[in-house]
This record gives sequence, C-alpha cells and structure tokens, in this order.
Amino acid sequence: MRTFLLKGAATALTMCTTVASALFVTSHLKNPAAPLQPPVLTAANSSSNAAVGGTLTVGPSVQPSNAEPMTSTYAS
Amino acid sequence: MRPDASVESHHFEALGTSCSVFAVGHSHLIEAEFWVRRLGARLTRFSADSELSRLNRDTGDWVPISAELQAIIRAAFRADEMSAGLVNVAVLPSMHAVGYTRPFTEGPGVATLEDLRPLPPLADVLELREGEARLQAGCGVDLGGIAKGWMADRLSATLGADVVVNLGGDLFARGSGPRGDGWPVGLGGSTLLLRDQGAATSSVRRRRWGEMHHLIDPRTGLPAKTGLEEVSVVAASGFEAEVVAKTALLLGPDLAPAYCAAHAMAWWLSDGHDD
Repeated sequence: MRTFLLKGAATALTMCTTVASALFVTSHLKNPAAPLQPPVLTAANSSSNAAVGGTLTVGPSVQPSNAEPMTSTYAS
Repeated sequence: MRPDASVESHHFEALGTSCSVFAVGHSHLIEAEFWVRRLGARLTRFSADSELSRLNRDTGDWVPISAELQAIIRAAFRADEMSAGLVNVAVLPSMHAVGYTRPFTEGPGVATLEDLRPLPPLADVLELREGEARLQAGCGVDLGGIAKGWMADRLSATLGADVVVNLGGDLFARGSGPRGDGWPVGLGGSTLLLRDQGAATSSVRRRRWGEMHHLIDPRTGLPAKTGLEEVSVVAASGFEAEVVAKTALLLGPDLAPAYCAAHAMAWWLSDGHDD
C-alpha cells in the first residue's frame, strides 16, 4: 500500500511539473527585453516629412541635422 | 562630437557636370581631378576615341577592355539585377533616337522616335569575360550615372579615410566628417549626416528639351513618364544610391516608396507638385 502511494505521488508530481513547465515556456516564448535583440528591430520606424514639392523619409541609420550642407546630391 | 577639423576641398568640371572633393587632413585633392578626367575620357560615349566608343563601334566582336571598364560593366549587370531590368545601360539606341546624340551643352539633335521599341534584356545583348566584352550588332551602351556612382565610390576609397567625393550629384561620404558626427549632405532640401554612405539623385527635370529628356524607360524605349519627377536616395554606396534612385523614379509614385523602404536608408520623392 505504501509503495503504491509513493508511486502515485511521484507520478502526480512529475505530471504537475511537466504541465507547469509547459505553461511557463509557452507564456515566455520571447523576452522583449533580451539584451541581444538587434537595435534595428526597435528603431525600424522611419520618419516621413512632407515638404514643398515632395516627401522626405529618413530611416534610422541616417541622422538629420540643422547644419548647412557641405555638398548636396542633385540632378545633373 | 569633436571640434571642427579643417576640411580641404577641390572643385572642377568633368564628366559633363560639376564635381567636388572634400577631405579632412588631405592636401593632394588635385590628383582626384586628374583621375576623374582620365577615366572619364575613356568612358564617355561622346568621344570617338574612347574605350566605350570602341566597344559600341565594334559590335559583334570581342573587344579588349580595361580593368576599370570591366568593373563598371559588372556593376551594370548588378544594377540590372537590382532593378529587375529597369536600369539598363544598353540604352544608347534610345538616347540617339530621342536626339541625345552629343553633349547636352551643344544642344539636342533631331528626335526620330518611329523605330523606338522596348530595350532588350541586358544579358541578351552584352557579354563579359575576363578582359573582354562583346556587344550585339545594333546595340550600344551608355554608362551614365552608373559610372559616376561607381567612380565616386572608387575614388573615395583611394583618397583617404575621411572624404566626400561628389561627381555631379552622385556621391560617397567616407568616414565621420569634420565634426565626427558624419558629413553634412543636402538631400531634398534637408541636411543629412552621412557616414560611409552614398547618395544620388535621378530626375527628369534636367537634361530635357521639349517633351524629351534623358531618362529612358526600358519598358518602352521612350523618355520615362511615371508621375515622379525627382528621386534622391541615401544607400550603402554611391552606385547603389544611383540604381535605387533611378529604379524608384521609373517605378512611379505607387511603387517607389516600398522599393525605397527595402533598398534605401533615406529618400526624397518629388512629383513636382507643391502640395
């Protein structure tokens, strides 16, 4: 009788642990605060500005500035 | 950000346009002009003696080419792939047909549009092997902005670690610039700080005469009419910026934003309207 109870308890404990682990893992598939996440994923939103004659869109890898341009791209 | 470092600059006319070179801590920028002039003289279609004119003239035969022309033709094939055929350097017959037969400063020639048709795929008319190229009869190559973008990238690599080379609007900014936060470059009326990035503009507002202009749509063989008038782009190199800008302009206002979002780091799209 005692052996039967011990086996039952061990089986129940194992099953509970398995279910709890599965629940925990499925609810934590991705940690948004993980330090190795590429920064480009969080900075991917580019900004668009409508100006006279057109629209300028600047992605995260380019920094706008208020400085006078030293040179420009233009049609030639 | 560091204090402003002194910037040397040199400006000159070459390749039928205005060119500028800027560098931090460099004093031999005149050599850049010599390099551009030497290579430009070999790549122009307006001189019968140029290397490119020889390739265009001796169609059907394998023609010996220099390492530089070989590299630019390779780049042209890459441009063809990047643009799904929209940037096609085998555009010379269309250029002649619309009257762009001589340097723009000498005025346009006579347009004869009757025989114009869509451009053949580049790979069907131009072959390349080590040191040689072959062009099919009846075809011709105009390297245009592809050569300028490629030259800006190549020249900046030879000049130093902190330079900007601008060849008629096709430019590459190498290094972190005079203040350490990037080279300030004008694009679409704004200033952007570029580091190890290229920029280029494609437009139908310049080099136009009457209803004609120089930007040919390979799908028709005619000057492009897409609803966009000007596109400026920042990309990983001057060459890539040139290809993306031209492709976006040819795609038109509906498809250009998505194409630029996939291939560019910043972009200016102008349809010519003020609203």
